[in-house]
Amino acid sequence: MAPKAITSPVPDSLYPTLSVLTLAIGLVLTASFFIYEATTSRKTRSLAQELTTGAVASVFLGFGSLFLLLACGVYV
Amino acid sequence: MMRFALTLLLFAFTFGVLSCSPVFSDLILAKVDRRIDLTSQIVRIATSLKVENVGSNPASEILLSFPENQAKHLAYLTVTLNEGKGKGKASSGAGLPVEVVDPKDVPDSLTFYSVSLPKGLGKGESLLLDVLAVFTHTLEPFPEKISQADIQLLLYQDTAHYLSPYKVVVQSLTVKFPEARVESYTKLEGTKLSGSELKYGPFHNIPPFSYLPIIIHFENNQPFAVAEELVREIEISHWGNVQVTEHYNLFHGGAKSKGEFSRLDYQARPYVRGASAFRRLVARLPPRAHSVYYRDEIGNISTSSLWGDSKKTELEIEPRYPLFGGWKTAFTIGYGLPLRDFLFELDGKRFLNFSFGSPINELVIDTLIVKVVLPEGSKFISASAPFPVKQWQETKFSHLDLVGRPVVVLEKNNVVPEHNEYFQVYYKFNSLSMLREPLMLIFGFFSLFVACIVYMHADMSISKSSASYLAKVQWEEVQATVQQIHNIISHCLTAHDKLEASLRELSRTGDVQGCKATRKSVDSLLKGVSKDLKPLVAFLQSSPQAAHILPKVEELIAKERDLQERLMAKHTTVVDCYEKKLGGRDIENRIAPNQQKITALRQEVDDLMDFIDEI
Repeated sequence: MAPKAITSPVPDSLYPTLSVLTLAIGLVLTASFFIYEATTSRKTRSLAQELTTGAVASVFLGFGSLFLLLACGVYV
Repeated sequence: MMRFALTLLLFAFTFGVLSCSPVFSDLILAKVDRRIDLTSQIVRIATSLKVENVGSNPASEILLSFPENQAKHLAYLTVTLNEGKGKGKASSGAGLPVEVVDPKDVPDSLTFYSVSLPKGLGKGESLLLDVLAVFTHTLEPFPEKISQADIQLLLYQDTAHYLSPYKVVVQSLTVKFPEARVESYTKLEGTKLSGSELKYGPFHNIPPFSYLPIIIHFENNQPFAVAEELVREIEISHWGNVQVTEHYNLFHGGAKSKGEFSRLDYQARPYVRGASAFRRLVARLPPRAHSVYYRDEIGNISTSSLWGDSKKTELEIEPRYPLFGGWKTAFTIGYGLPLRDFLFELDGKRFLNFSFGSPINELVIDTLIVKVVLPEGSKFISASAPFPVKQWQETKFSHLDLVGRPVVVLEKNNVVPEHNEYFQVYYKFNSLSMLREPLMLIFGFFSLFVACIVYMHADMSISKSSASYLAKVQWEEVQATVQQIHNIISHCLTAHDKLEASLRELSRTGDVQGCKATRKSVDSLLKGVSKDLKPLVAFLQSSPQAAHILPKVEELIAKERDLQERLMAKHTTVVDCYEKKLGGRDIENRIAPNQQKITALRQEVDDLMDFIDEI
C-alpha cells in the first residue's frame, strides 16, 4: 500500500478568492447587525434576532480572517 | 608536531609487539584498493576490499579498524556489497549494518567496527566490499596562521599500509589532490606523483595491524565552511505548507588569518590576495520552494540569487564579507515548501519525510539540531532516522495556539553532506482538529458582538429618577409607539396595493366573484387596523414628548382613512360596472375624479411615512 500524499482540505489557489467572499458577506452581516442596533428602540428590540445576526456574521468573519491569514502566507 | 611524534612511536611499538593475532586468522584480504580524496575540507576514503575466507568456519562478520585519533573525527561510515565484476561498477543496494565493537586481544588505541554479512562467507569463498569513510577536521593547516597573501597549506597524516586486523595480500593507495601543487610527501619505494594524483604501492603480503605513517603537505584553496551550530526548524501546517527556517553560525575552518585585511588588494586580485577565502555558498533546496529569504541580525541580505527547475531550487548566497581563516558569520535562511511533497498518510498514521542535513554544498556541521514542529493536537509522536541521533520533545507556542505545538528535536554531532538522507516523523492527527483554528477566530468575533449587545441592553445611568433620564425613557417609548404606527400604516398600504392588484386582475380575467372576496378580506383587515391604532394614538396624545410629532401622525392617519374610503368607493364602482357590462370608457369616466384624488393622497401619505421614519 503506497503512502498517500496529504494536502489541504481546501485547494491553495482558492484561498484569496474565498477570503474576499467570506469577508464581504461577514461585513455585510455586521453592517446589518449594527443598523438594527441603531434603528430600533429598547422596547422593539429582539434578543433572538440580535444573537442570530451576530452568530452568522461571526462565522463568516471567522472563516474570512482565517483564509485571509492563509492567503497572506501566515500558515496558521 | 609533538602529537604526531607520539602517535608514530605508539604505532611503531604496536607493530613490534603484535605480529599476528590468532583470533583473526580466518579471513584474509586478497586485494585492497584505497582512494583518499583530499579535494575538499572533508576527507573521503573509499576502500574496496576483496575478503577471502581461508579458515574452516564460515564468517558472519568482518572487522574494520581505525586508529583512535582518526576514529574520533569519523563522521560517516558505510559499507556496501559490490556485486559487479571488476572496478568501475558502482555498488548497489543498501549498506550493511555496521556496529562499534570492542574485541579482546587487540591494541588499545584502535577503534573497531564490525560489519555483519547477510549471508555468511563460506569456506574458500570471497566477496567484494566497498567501504566509504568520511572524516572531518583531519586536515591540519600548516602553517597555522597565514597572512592575506599566503597560500593555504594543509597537513594530512595517514598510513600507507591499510590498517586491518587481517593479513593483506596485495594493496595499493591513491591520493587525489584538489590542485597539482604538493609541497612535500613521504617518499617510499614505488611512489609516483602524476598531476594531482599520488600513488603508493603496490605492497605485497603485509601482516595484520601494520601501520606505515605517511605525511602529505599540500595546497588546498577549497572553501572551508564549517558551521559551529545549525538549528533547522521545520514547521508543518496542515493548511498546505512546510516552513523551514535555518539558523547558521559559520566560520572558516582553515588556516587562521593573521595581519591586516586589505580590501583593496582583495578586490583587485582576489585569487592572489586571499585565495583561501570564500565568498559564496551554494544551497540546493527541494523543488517548488517559495518565499525564500536570507537575512541576519541586521536585516535582509540582498546579495543572493535563486533559480529553480523541476528537480531542485538553487540558492546562491554571498555573506556581507568574504570569509578568511577564523572569521565568523551568522545568518538565517528560510523557505516554504508545498505540503504534498513531504507529508504522507499510511495505515492511519501520518508521517513527514524530510532530509536531515543542511542543503548547503560541502558544509561541515559541528552540531546539527533539527526541530520538527507538528500542529497542535498531534499524538503518538515518534521519529526514525537512518543513523543514530539524540532525540527529545519540546513545546512551541505559535499562531493561534492554546496549549502549544509538540516539537521533536533531533541532535547530531559531526554532520557531513553524506547525512542528507531522509528521516521520518510519525504521528496521529484527527482531521477535525483542523477546525479548532477557525472556531477560535469565530468565537473571538462572536464575543465582540455579544459585548455590543450587552452594552446596548445594559442600563448604565447612575440616577434613575433624574429629569433627563426620565425624559430619555419617555422619548424611547414615543419612538416605539411611532414605529408601531408606522408598521400598521405599512400594512394598510399593502392592503391598498392588494385592492389595486385585484382590479387589474379583474380587467384581465373578468372574475367578479374573486374581486368581491378580496374586497371583503381587505375591509375586515382595515377595520381591525383602526381598532389597533386607537390606543397608540391615545398614548401619543398623553405623552408630552410627542408634542411635535402628534399633528403629523394624526394627519397621516386621517389621510390614510380618506385614501381608504376613496379606494373602496372606486373598487365598488368598478365592480358594479363590470356586473352591468359597461365599456372601458364608461368606467374610466366614472372613476376619473376619484382617481386623481387617490394618487395625490397616496403621494402625501408616502411623504409623511418617510418623515415619520426619520425621527
